[in-house]
Amino acid sequence: MSRRFRNKVLACLGFLACALALPAFCGPMGFKESWMVMGDFSPHWQEAFVNYALTPRDALGASTLYMRSDDERKSRQLEDVTYTRLLKRWNLPQAQANIWFLGGLGYVTGNDFVGYKPMASPGVQVDYETTRVYASATARLYRADGINHDFTSARLGFSFYEVDYDETQPWLVFEARRMTGLTNRTEVTPMLRLIHNRYFLELGVSNSAQGRINFMYIF
Amino acid sequence: MKKSVIALALALATLPSLAVTSIKATVNGMVCSFCAQGIEKRISSMPAAKAVFVDLKKKTVAIEAKEGQTLDGNAITAEITDAGYDVVKLETVQKSVEEIKSEVRARK
Repeated sequence: MSRRFRNKVLACLGFLACALALPAFCGPMGFKESWMVMGDFSPHWQEAFVNYALTPRDALGASTLYMRSDDERKSRQLEDVTYTRLLKRWNLPQAQANIWFLGGLGYVTGNDFVGYKPMASPGVQVDYETTRVYASATARLYRADGINHDFTSARLGFSFYEVDYDETQPWLVFEARRMTGLTNRTEVTPMLRLIHNRYFLELGVSNSAQGRINFMYIF
Repeated sequence: MKKSVIALALALATLPSLAVTSIKATVNGMVCSFCAQGIEKRISSMPAAKAVFVDLKKKTVAIEAKEGQTLDGNAITAEITDAGYDVVKLETVQKSVEEIKSEVRARK
């Protein structure tokens, strides 16, 4: 397979994954021996996440996630330990593509049942990125006894222009996501993404008129 | 006169060792400054590294050696690899990071 053909295949896979609505950010972990802090906050979905990269491919962490249904009658609180694994990376001359495993084990509480239940949240993310284009797709299960809040999302974005390494780069990113058992509609959020060195910020308003802020920081 | 010529010859002979040396790496997969932070952080912490320059468009990472010190190409490759990228070319150049930065930016 020629390099040009392989690059085209990878680009198509990235966009196809988005089209099929397989969510998330850039990469879900940083470089070896780094910490990554992430947050995703909107009225219905509030997640804080920190992990540490033990190797270039493996990170351990912890997260806390609050989920709420559209009608605000049902809410969940999940606390879990997480494991992130870079399953495959393609470092291409002008692009990078990745397949990630995302996993979590913890417990969930809710306002419609008493006590807590063990919850598992395995998932996969694929992404493709150049200096001007970004695409990703994520599918993640959130399962506990009698609970299914599976999550799928797709992102597609472009940067307005290329910048030097030490300058702020603005992007426009569109995300579509669905959350089983919490909402019956697909939430679409256009977001302004700003990347500057080790800072990553996204701001948007969804088609449900809900504000959203995402951030990441590596150290 | 003879002593002056010898002194001049010795001075010229020592010039290369005083010249600034940098390693210039061509790196595949380096498309996002947020994700490439690892390269800068890991290489900057190497004892022989004086300055680091990263350019995403030209896929270039340049590392300038501290005066009197030698950069280890294998160690640099290992650090870039640990940061998650692939080094496809590594060359030693007699230029400072500032000079390399000016050249790269002039070509844009």
